[in-house]
Amino acid sequence: MFGTLLIRIAFASAILSSLLYFYSYFKKTSTMTSWARMFFHFGVVSIMFSSALMIYFIMTHHFEYNYIWGHSSTDLSPSLLFSTFYAGQEGSFTLWALLTGLLGIFLLQYSIKRNYEIELMSIYSLIYASLLLMIVVKNPFTFIWEVFPADLLKSGIPNVDNYIWVDQAKGIWAQIPTEGRGLNPLLQNYWMVIHPPILFLGFTALAVPFAHAVAALLKKDFTFWIKVAKPWVVFASLSLGTGIILGGYWAYETLGWGGFWGWDPVENSSFVPWLTSVALIHTMLTQSNSGSFLKTNFALSILSFILVLYSTFLTRSGVLGDTSVHSFVDPGMLVYWLLIGVMFMFMIIGFGLMIYRSKDMPKIEVKHTILSRDFALFLGAAVLVLLSFFVALGTSSPIITNIIKGKISAVDISYYNNTALPLTIILALLISFGQLLWWQSSKLDQFLKSLIVPSILSLIGTIFAIYIGVNEIFILVYIFSSLLALFVNIYTAYKISKETAKHVGGSVAHIGLALMLIGFITSSKYDDKKTLSLEQGKSYSTFGYNFIYEGYSQVSPNRYAFDIKIEDGKSIHKVAPIMVFNPQDNNLIRHPDIINLYTKDLYVSPVSLEEPKNLGTDLELLPNLKSTHENLSILYKSFTFEVVKGKGNLITVPLEISENGKKEIINLTMTMEKGNVSYSESNFGKYNLKIKTVSTGADSKSKPIIITVNSSDISNQVNKETLIAEISVKPFINLVWIGTVLLLLGFIITIIKRVKESNINY
Amino acid sequence: MNIKVILGVLVVAVSLYFAVDSFNSNNIEYTNFEQAITMEKKVQVKGVWQSELETDYNPNKNTFTFFMKDDNEKSVKVILYGSKPNNFEIATSIVAKGRFRDNIFYANDILTKCPSKYEGDSKAVQRTL
Repeated sequence: MFGTLLIRIAFASAILSSLLYFYSYFKKTSTMTSWARMFFHFGVVSIMFSSALMIYFIMTHHFEYNYIWGHSSTDLSPSLLFSTFYAGQEGSFTLWALLTGLLGIFLLQYSIKRNYEIELMSIYSLIYASLLLMIVVKNPFTFIWEVFPADLLKSGIPNVDNYIWVDQAKGIWAQIPTEGRGLNPLLQNYWMVIHPPILFLGFTALAVPFAHAVAALLKKDFTFWIKVAKPWVVFASLSLGTGIILGGYWAYETLGWGGFWGWDPVENSSFVPWLTSVALIHTMLTQSNSGSFLKTNFALSILSFILVLYSTFLTRSGVLGDTSVHSFVDPGMLVYWLLIGVMFMFMIIGFGLMIYRSKDMPKIEVKHTILSRDFALFLGAAVLVLLSFFVALGTSSPIITNIIKGKISAVDISYYNNTALPLTIILALLISFGQLLWWQSSKLDQFLKSLIVPSILSLIGTIFAIYIGVNEIFILVYIFSSLLALFVNIYTAYKISKETAKHVGGSVAHIGLALMLIGFITSSKYDDKKTLSLEQGKSYSTFGYNFIYEGYSQVSPNRYAFDIKIEDGKSIHKVAPIMVFNPQDNNLIRHPDIINLYTKDLYVSPVSLEEPKNLGTDLELLPNLKSTHENLSILYKSFTFEVVKGKGNLITVPLEISENGKKEIINLTMTMEKGNVSYSESNFGKYNLKIKTVSTGADSKSKPIIITVNSSDISNQVNKETLIAEISVKPFINLVWIGTVLLLLGFIITIIKRVKESNINY
Repeated sequence: MNIKVILGVLVVAVSLYFAVDSFNSNNIEYTNFEQAITMEKKVQVKGVWQSELETDYNPNKNTFTFFMKDDNEKSVKVILYGSKPNNFEIATSIVAKGRFRDNIFYANDILTKCPSKYEGDSKAVQRTL
């Protein structure tokens, strides 16, 4: 009740704040701005309280709330319980709204100092209100009996312990579940605690450049806004990029995808706006240096946020259906249309305003030549936008094919690899050229001269790649261009750091990207994979290592660690991949374990555990013919076949069985019901007997019945406990991780520089 | 300026060609078993695992065999190259990617769809009371 009220108050405050800011803008007055400011803060405080309330209810297992019942359970650890706050749709929208509010407090202060408050906060409050509208509609505080009235609403005197009065006057009460449905077991690890908030921070932050662009258009400021917005763009790229990278590491390290990137719709949907935001960083850089790309910067700022909304629509509306490993469930038509409506509203505001203002925009004379850093940056940005377009196109495939062909189909992963490869080559080349070119124009001979050394180095690297067996021309070109980007940027970073170290951010980020590009290919194209059957205690050799499965141990309820020793003559490594087996629903989940070496990762995924089976001996029995097994003698005359109501078909085989004068008649049975076959077992002395096959056709009399005889002797156990494991080698995957760290570091260095630059009043 | 425009158009044209070409050749259609059986190419089929029928992992071949019923209630034997997928037992539905050969659906990949967390499920409520 109270939570719902707080959300509605937050929404109303945000709308009021936005309206008052717009009023101030159109009336050109600042009389109302203090009210607008106050309402904005009030809205943030409301959402903070409702989030806190939500977390409190989650931690204390208030299963009377449908969302909490649906996503958490009493057996979760406190940190995982906390993470269920954003495990579902309602909760993640709440988190998004909360972060938008919190970021808004900083943005408000930032904009006041830069005389941008009214324009900026009018549109930002509107974005904030739109997110709040989502949770007004899809309320996380919905009571469970509102969703399941037939199951839970009762009247009269409560006859259970867990109940809440819904209407005491009318004697209506609701039974409350004592347990929740729990969190998807795959998500139950610490990544779930940190990854989603960082990703959502990135989504949140991309609203800021959008708001800046709209504010600048309102204010008719076509140039200075770049300086104000720049640190936020880099911040948004940084947080979204960190979120994406953490997600990739999560998939690799814990989820056992075998790789860090699967081109899954959910990954793509955060990758697409990230690409455009990175493109925006580069075109903004150009505008602040030479004044060009004025319209491009408005367009990209608006587009990045629209793509965030489009991604949200793709992954939340249920349109992608069954094409992803992530679960999307239809949230209902209202949310579906609300998402579309919000997306189009901001698209019209953004692009509409841009077109409306285009006549006022100054015409910037293009001064740079083809051989200039400006043009290289522009091409780079264009390639990034193209790449994001192709990824978006592939991700939207179910919608596109549905509209065009009337049939839903999704693109294979190969689509993304095929389109990304050529674009990445161009991108890597531009990263190298751009650093060697001057602003405005460069001399061709100078440019070519500066290319000589890095080209020779890259060529040596590429020849080495051929030497170790790379023979695809496209891959070789890719390796060459990535190496070129690497060497050129190392050189640039060295040169810059001698002069002004704070300008080194761009080069560091590019070095990181170049390393990542090389690591992508080595670790995912030249990886190798083998499935081994590891019999306990035995040594198996593969990839130059000996693998010995030593046995398993239970690490916590349902979690089993499988100890594998890996030795290569010099050193001994131990891994313990995990399988989580839930005996209640027979569900199995596997987590890999990884040995991180300098030049490669050894990636060990458990596949299955084959427990020792007592295989026994199969005996063929023909009617009226005595068979013997060890000291046993068995006589079979005929079998009976009957249809038992409710049990299916029953076959009974009576056997006369004797050992050392001890004689007995035992009945072995076999029941068949809807393809489900079950057998009875009978014991005789140390032996255990069971039917294996019985032919029931017309010629059944002449065909033998086969039974399986086991003895409890240990010597009869044919196979030992065996672990099936998949071993893969990921060469030079460390390049990817080192690269990501450098990339993000580059962003951080850049933000620090940009914030200082933006400290100017206009 | 002219050369710049030409360069830009060239980049766009070449990559557009790549994209459209890849988009068409790498599309895997959603279909049912009845249609899939007549098709040569790789498709994806949504359905449910028939837990009452043979379900077996072969450690020697590293294949996982089970029976699956599509939305039109057609039941087919599926052989997955690999082991039992994560969350297979609790999946409410599965999506198999692969192609038919001799009336057996050979799958390279299986997506398991976890029980809906957003939708009402009376049975789930009853279980947790």
